[in-house]
Amino acid sequence: MALDFSIILRFQDALLLGLWMTLKLTLICVILGCTFGFLVGLARTSRSLALRAISSVYVEFFRGTPVLIQLFWIFFCLPMILGIELSNLASGVIALTLYMGAITSETFRASLKSVGPEQLDACIALGLPRRNQVTNVILPQAVLRAIPTLLSNCVSLFKESALVSAVGMADLMFVGQNISNNTARPVEVLTIVALIYFVIAFPLTRAVSLIERRILAKLAI
Amino acid sequence: MNYSFDFQSISFAPLWEGLMVTLELTAAANIIGIVGGFLLALLIMSPIAVIRLPAMLFVEFFRCTPAIVQIVWFFYCVPMLFNVFLGSMTMGILALGFNLMAFNAEAYRASIQAVPREQIDAGIALGLNPLQRILYIVLPTAFRASIPVLLTNGIGIFQQSALVAIVAVQDLMYQGKTLATETYRPIETFTVVALIYFAVSFPVTQVVGYFERRRHLLMS
Repeated sequence: MALDFSIILRFQDALLLGLWMTLKLTLICVILGCTFGFLVGLARTSRSLALRAISSVYVEFFRGTPVLIQLFWIFFCLPMILGIELSNLASGVIALTLYMGAITSETFRASLKSVGPEQLDACIALGLPRRNQVTNVILPQAVLRAIPTLLSNCVSLFKESALVSAVGMADLMFVGQNISNNTARPVEVLTIVALIYFVIAFPLTRAVSLIERRILAKLAI
Repeated sequence: MNYSFDFQSISFAPLWEGLMVTLELTAAANIIGIVGGFLLALLIMSPIAVIRLPAMLFVEFFRCTPAIVQIVWFFYCVPMLFNVFLGSMTMGILALGFNLMAFNAEAYRASIQAVPREQIDAGIALGLNPLQRILYIVLPTAFRASIPVLLTNGIGIFQQSALVAIVAVQDLMYQGKTLATETYRPIETFTVVALIYFAVSFPVTQVVGYFERRRHLLMS
């Protein structure tokens, strides 16, 4: 069959609009999700049993079910349960933020745990007050260690955001599928859509491994 | 909230059928992923650029694009490009299997590279030839080291397999969607479907956690 990629140029505005939606959604959920994930990460290490139990159930549930069903649940069930109308964007943001919160909380928890007990011992030996132990010694190291994994969590979120097309949000994937259905040229359109995702995600994954090496080198000193 | 729940209206027979399809997809994709991933890992580490570069491109492409894009692409474009028409189940298995292959290849590569240099030196000292060193020293150590990641990726594919519902493979997610529309009971249906997914993947993640903790204990 003859491929004709020039067809893409006719639809570039629509694709750019879709890409903008994907990026907007990703960015909002990265910010909200990381903040929420950090709090949940702290809750999972807290001394209160109730807090630990609730946060564990949340994290395990969101990590143990497909993102697609989470999206469906939030799109179709949450408005019914709450008895309010939720806009598409709001539902998408809620669903992906909850997903991002669950995966980043694990990242924060692991990096908090990776700061060795000798660091705390050193704090005590230096006579640092309790609040400085956390804010000046433990947290900076933990966050530094979390950065590479957080970045790859962001890449995951960027990729998972394509799922919102299944519930009718006009993101890059949704626009691409519409164009491909209307023009009957799936090969060209879907390939370009895949390439757009690749062009954004690939440099990010490279950056992750670069930063990882630099941070590991820094921590080793 | 004044919503009255009615879990009675959900018939479990279609969900059970769907779960079987999902499990079948997962199992078949895992076989492709575990075997193919290892071969792919060997290709990635090949010193010959002509072999290495296409393999790396394959891996990076699957790792850096959304799974849903891959699946939709696969279902629409493969029949058009290559003129092959396979059943939707086979297509689903291949799409998920290729995706898993890429992720598993990275896991294998990392653990092959993590085999301590001393072990290989010991192999040389014992007079093993290169093939024996790979077969008896690198492979067993690397495979054992990658088991937790392989399991995690495998259960990841179990979750990702819900995506084939979009291209009308009648898996658990698809049956759930149909049931929710038929019964007008999305809350109950989607909750039950989510719980089924959770009931399968949670025990596996716990087993992975157990293996990892044990490994750490053995290593320290």
